[in-house]
Amino acid sequence: MGTVAQLFFDAVSLGGIYAMAALGIALIFGVMNLVNFAHGEYIAFCVFALIVPSTDAVAVMFLGKAPALVLIPALLILGALMAMTSEYVVFRHFRRADPVAMMIASFALGFVIQNGLLAIYGSRPKAISLWPSLNTPIHVAGADVPLLQLIVIIATLLVVSGLALLLKKTRIGLEMRAAAENFTMARMLGVRANVVITGAFALSGALAAAVAMIMVTQTGVADVRMGGSIMLVAFIATVIGGMGSLPGAVAAGFLIGAVSVLLQAFLPLDARPFRDAFLYTLVIVCLLLRPQGLFASPNSKPRV
Amino acid sequence: MAKLGVFDVSVRYGKVPALNDVSLHLNEGERMFISGPNGAGKSSLLRAISGAVATSHGRIEMDGTILTGRPPEAIARQGLSMVPEGREIFGSMTVEENLRVGTGIRRDRSAIESDIAEIYDAFPILGQRRNASAGALSGGQQQMLAIGRALMTNPKLMMVDEPSLGLAPNIVDQVYDTLVALQQERGLTLLIVEQSSARAARVGGRMVLLRGGAIVDQGDAREFAEKDLLKDAYFGGAKTEDA
Ligand SMILES: Nc1ncnc2c1ncn2[C@@H]1O[C@H](COP(=O)(O)OP(=O)(O)O)[C@@H](O)[C@H]1O
Ligand SMILES: [Mg+2]
Repeated sequence: MGTVAQLFFDAVSLGGIYAMAALGIALIFGVMNLVNFAHGEYIAFCVFALIVPSTDAVAVMFLGKAPALVLIPALLILGALMAMTSEYVVFRHFRRADPVAMMIASFALGFVIQNGLLAIYGSRPKAISLWPSLNTPIHVAGADVPLLQLIVIIATLLVVSGLALLLKKTRIGLEMRAAAENFTMARMLGVRANVVITGAFALSGALAAAVAMIMVTQTGVADVRMGGSIMLVAFIATVIGGMGSLPGAVAAGFLIGAVSVLLQAFLPLDARPFRDAFLYTLVIVCLLLRPQGLFASPNSKPRV
Repeated sequence: MAKLGVFDVSVRYGKVPALNDVSLHLNEGERMFISGPNGAGKSSLLRAISGAVATSHGRIEMDGTILTGRPPEAIARQGLSMVPEGREIFGSMTVEENLRVGTGIRRDRSAIESDIAEIYDAFPILGQRRNASAGALSGGQQQMLAIGRALMTNPKLMMVDEPSLGLAPNIVDQVYDTLVALQQERGLTLLIVEQSSARAARVGGRMVLLRGGAIVDQGDAREFAEKDLLKDAYFGGAKTEDA
């Protein structure tokens, strides 16, 4: 019983991180057909904003020193600003360009951010301890669950339902949904392209900040390259979820989290180091069977 | 001053020309039909006016203000609204959400609710299905929704691209009756793409015939209907459609 509960908490908390990262990518893809490969670097940027610039192995907290009530909103805003700035400085100039050109621009931007971080903080991963008390295990349903896992799960639920509410109930949400479905039609009804796209980047950046806080607390490491691996999983989740579909991205994020935890638990010991190979094989099978994504609605037509 | 002035406008997609030096003028409250075979450039003309495609040459004015080169959202704010070909309903959103997309540009916030009620009055089926997914509506209902949605921006000039496409004749009658009634109530200026001259003649208005991206004829819709009838008499009833 205990192990089942343990697996469940592992799967949901890992899936939650993937879901949030995937949402950040799907939001922007929805409104401008851009797969933003710099998203992982937004996450890394937010992590490093927590500490004082230095090349030491142990990080000294900078923003991270602030109390949670200040730190959390500050980092969310910082992530949003980072994303909005990159839209204004880079992506805005590619609006009419080929999606491939835009994607390459996002790679380039990612490199710039990563090298900026390297220059300031050095390449050595740093030990960083944000809210260490959250890693104390507490006893739930027969399993020892780090408090953080529960917080991750609650945070994911809050973020996902908050986003759903925002999209469903607010003016900007209505406009973002309309623009995601048919950008030109939305504009012909007076929806401002700049407002919708800036809004999508702001939300995406805030999601990156949320992922950053969770990852740092969980792993205790700040690494300039940390954005790459989560970006890969998040990108795969958006593809499996049906590009641009927000519910699809969330569902696929949880699915990948769950499968990855299950593989880790049930693969024979010798095969465990190859867990990711198994995971990506499943991804390929998924895409072969349903190229439009697992969660794309049957009547959704391909975007052009 | 003309409500809408189109001066020598050309549109090309890459190297393919779709519209060549087209000029036309609409007066306030007027109704004009654009006719012509498939590929004549009718939709391209409407898209150019609404800002959805760039013009490669020429100038478009509304109330004396230049629209050319401005983004579609700015043109919508100027008081121009479009019911596009194929309706382009937001299928994943509800009927009422579709109606509300265009209300962001209005300053008369208080009139929005009464305008929505008015649209439900004109199209009761939309009122009944206000919370249903718009993608689940029938073609005729989607056409009504597209018209309602365009009206919610409170336009002075409305363009409708082939409202009769894929609809049963009695539904087309209903759509045109509503358009004419709305025009009279609100003093709208209407620019409508309609392939059937007989239909246009019955509704009444001026007509412009496009072919190969250029205007080849213009006049009263009834003259076109008579000419088409004559042609049918000589060449057999290929175009009897709904005449
Ligand atoms: N998006 C597009 N890309 C390339 N060519 C187009 C596009 N849209 C229309 N065309 C071409 O432009 C010409 C005019 O098309 P259109 O304006 O849709 O005509 P109509 O509405 O009268 O049927 C046609 O030759 C059509 O093939
Ligand atoms: Mg057309």
